[in-house]
Amino acid sequence: MKVFLIGAGQVGTTIVEALHEDHELTVLDTEASRLQAIAGRFDVMTYEGDGTSRKDLAAAGVGSADLVIACTSRDEVNLVAGMFARREATGATTVIRTSNVEYVELWRAGQLDVDFVVSSELETAYAISRIIGVPAARQTDVFAEGQVQLGEFDAEEGASADVIGVALRHAKIPADSKIAAIIRGSETILPGGDDEIRIGDRIVVIGSPDAAKAWSSLLWPEGGTVRDVVIFGAGRVGSAIARVLLEQGISVRMIDASREQARRAAEAFPKARVYNATGFDPDFLERERIGHSQAGIFAMRDDAKNQYAASLAQVHGIQFTIAIAHEAVSVAAFEQAGIDVSVNPRGVTAEEIVRFAHDPRMQQVAMLEDNRYEVLDVTTRESSRYIGMAFRDMPVHGSLIGAIVRNGQAIFPHGDDVLEAGDRVIIFTEAANAPWVVEAL
Amino acid sequence: MSQPVARIGPPRRFAIDVPAVVNLVGTLAKYLGLAAVFPIPFALWYGETPLPFIVAGAVTTGLGLVLERATAGAAARVGVREGFLVVALTWLLAAAFASIPYLFEGGEQLSSPLDAYFEGMSGFTTTGASVVTDFDEINRSLGIWRQFTQWLGGMGIIVLAIAVLPRLRVGGRQLMESELPGPEIAQLSERIRSTARKLWVLYVGLTVLQTLMLATLGWAGIDDAMTPYQALAHAFSTMPTGGFSTQARSAEGFSAEAQWILAFFMLVAGANFALMYRGLIRRRLHVFARDEEFQLYIVLAVIASAAVAAMLWGYEIAEGEEAVRTGFFQTVSIMSTTGMASADFALWPAVLLLALFALMFVGGSAGSTGGSIKVVRHLLLGKVLRREIDQTLSPEVVMPIRLNGSPVDERTVRAIAAFVLLYVGAWAIGASAIAIDSAITGAGLGTLDSLATSATALGNVGPAFGPAGPMGSFAELGDASKLTMIGLMWVGRLEIVPVVVLLTRHYWRL
Repeated sequence: MKVFLIGAGQVGTTIVEALHEDHELTVLDTEASRLQAIAGRFDVMTYEGDGTSRKDLAAAGVGSADLVIACTSRDEVNLVAGMFARREATGATTVIRTSNVEYVELWRAGQLDVDFVVSSELETAYAISRIIGVPAARQTDVFAEGQVQLGEFDAEEGASADVIGVALRHAKIPADSKIAAIIRGSETILPGGDDEIRIGDRIVVIGSPDAAKAWSSLLWPEGGTVRDVVIFGAGRVGSAIARVLLEQGISVRMIDASREQARRAAEAFPKARVYNATGFDPDFLERERIGHSQAGIFAMRDDAKNQYAASLAQVHGIQFTIAIAHEAVSVAAFEQAGIDVSVNPRGVTAEEIVRFAHDPRMQQVAMLEDNRYEVLDVTTRESSRYIGMAFRDMPVHGSLIGAIVRNGQAIFPHGDDVLEAGDRVIIFTEAANAPWVVEAL
Repeated sequence: MSQPVARIGPPRRFAIDVPAVVNLVGTLAKYLGLAAVFPIPFALWYGETPLPFIVAGAVTTGLGLVLERATAGAAARVGVREGFLVVALTWLLAAAFASIPYLFEGGEQLSSPLDAYFEGMSGFTTTGASVVTDFDEINRSLGIWRQFTQWLGGMGIIVLAIAVLPRLRVGGRQLMESELPGPEIAQLSERIRSTARKLWVLYVGLTVLQTLMLATLGWAGIDDAMTPYQALAHAFSTMPTGGFSTQARSAEGFSAEAQWILAFFMLVAGANFALMYRGLIRRRLHVFARDEEFQLYIVLAVIASAAVAAMLWGYEIAEGEEAVRTGFFQTVSIMSTTGMASADFALWPAVLLLALFALMFVGGSAGSTGGSIKVVRHLLLGKVLRREIDQTLSPEVVMPIRLNGSPVDERTVRAIAAFVLLYVGAWAIGASAIAIDSAITGAGLGTLDSLATSATALGNVGPAFGPAGPMGSFAELGDASKLTMIGLMWVGRLEIVPVVVLLTRHYWRL
């Protein structure tokens, strides 16, 4: 597939990283230095030009693209580039990135002439909302319109003995779920009945949403359901998170150091309680019982502040911390600092955009562990040699089927179930094997 | 080669453009004088002399023309600054205009210029406080003039001028906002002229409807006292929340049906006309259910009516339908600042008087013809207090004040707090002045009477208690008290701030 990318920033680079092996990429940006950095790492075409110039777009060859992605950090550039690309490349799918939720709403109402609009803020908010639903998970994702949920969990001290240190064939694993992988250090185990989960392992589970919640309470018995959160930072990301969580009936408190942003958040969310404070003042944290919130979400613009505020909040008693890591490197630092979950908005956005570049049979892809693993959602072909095969007989080649969707209904297969043509398969695989897996199905 | 000389003019002392103000006041007076034509057909029909009205109209229009001519070269438009003075002067002038016919025809009771001016100011400000004691002296044409001045003042003279006059040189909406009752919260998105027209169309429509309903009672023989003349006279008194009656005993003599109609229209007159326009004319009834002020207005009216009715029944002043009707009528009358009476409440026990006294501070809705503090200000102030208490505990919490879901600008909130303080201040000063004067002249006002007299004038309600009750009059008050009341009525109708602005040094000087 020919992919035309406008914007070579962090999102653009992540997309290039994910797509450069299988697709023919052209990257356009106004800054030569960024293009050089990308060209140095990946085998892609680069073109120095302006995304808002139709001439530049045409000259860079947007007309022959199958997929056009406008993912600069500026909404207006993406909008204009998306519109022009629509005219130049009539058959192509156009995807634009925006940080303004209003554009997403316009697009949903059919008022924007592009195929897809992806908002970093909204994707981040959805990611956080999923995490809050399954608080023990490090990462979650949903497939098949939410019928299948993917969760990545850490097995830590305090996890239930029902599943820890027991051979899996004897363990009380929640119904409708499957352990896709056990990651132990650098080793990845695609588990059989004799394997067991040990403290310190990281496991990938594919199952129904209820099963994901059950796993969450097995691995973190005191986690419970989150009904009450505090969000540090009431900017665009913080507000998007607040909006999504409030819609789910979760009670939200927000803290922002800027009087103006606090005022705007207070005006936008009548149900939220908004404070104009830095969030670093121990007296304030103590007086407002910030530590009593079940979860703290740190969505300030500065990663360092997020990390510090999260640590401080933990000192004041917040059990569960989720921090926004604007820089990819902060994810590791946050983990080191004891923050429970980190979300990188640009990574989430790139992941969302990358989905559009996959095989048309492939509905969705989720990336795990810094792209070491992928979970794919693929529709099987008539010609696949696995059709008619029972799951117990399937060979294990570094990948594992977690769920199938048949006639729109999710099924969590047992050994005797048989794969049929046209089934959608939710499959866990090492990233390197992904093309082979898609080919085989 | 000559150096160009910079022309520095002489120092200008005034910050406001006085000729432009005088010019605009002149124009308004010129047209205002035409209002005196209205009672002339009544005078001719009833065989009375039309002379007082001809004189009043000629004097006012003549004065207007003189003022206009004298300042012919003035600026064509007045600014925001000048607007305050225009409004203040126009209302003083209007009261004078209204008082001219009283001097001719009002008999002994209105022969003193102060008394006539009191009656004129009371009419135009829709207060309905009267110094008339002998209603037989007031003939039909003068009676309808007295009612008509209330009706003109109700929706506002300047609002009317903007609505109907072809090329009125009125600058911004400041003028209109100074005159429209209630704080300006929602931005009017329309041109001021079309807003003014809509308000007046609805106002005229409701007045016609009420007149027809009352007159039907007379025609149908249900209420023989309700002649077409009385129907019109009382509609002119109800819709602007005025309160003047042609009867010495106010609405007491009318039938129960007529009193229910009067009470209902008093309730309507105290509601927001812009809201009613959207709800009734545009047929969007849901706007009523969504409007917080309207909800509170109705809830207050219902609760207060029920309480008053219950007390009337309890004190055995009235019972059954009469208690309910009297409770509703009196509550709505005082709350909407109309001041009409279906019973002599001055004779009621102190608890009931205190209830009515408290209602004097409620007022109608913003954008109604009612006076006083108004429901929306109470509503917003209540929210401010709740926030203050919340912030005592959590100083960092940010809570925008909302009205109907939308945040209200903090400046507006502050302005409302300032208004209420000024209102209470003006009331206290007025009450003190009246109490002192009463002590000196021996007018016989008790403590509550003095407090109520000040409140009734400032809130444009009308009757007070004691000798100045609904069936009494303010005739016995000393001149100083009457002058104080005139000032309070004027200040209250313009909602204090436009007048107080005139008292600041920076208004006049740079």
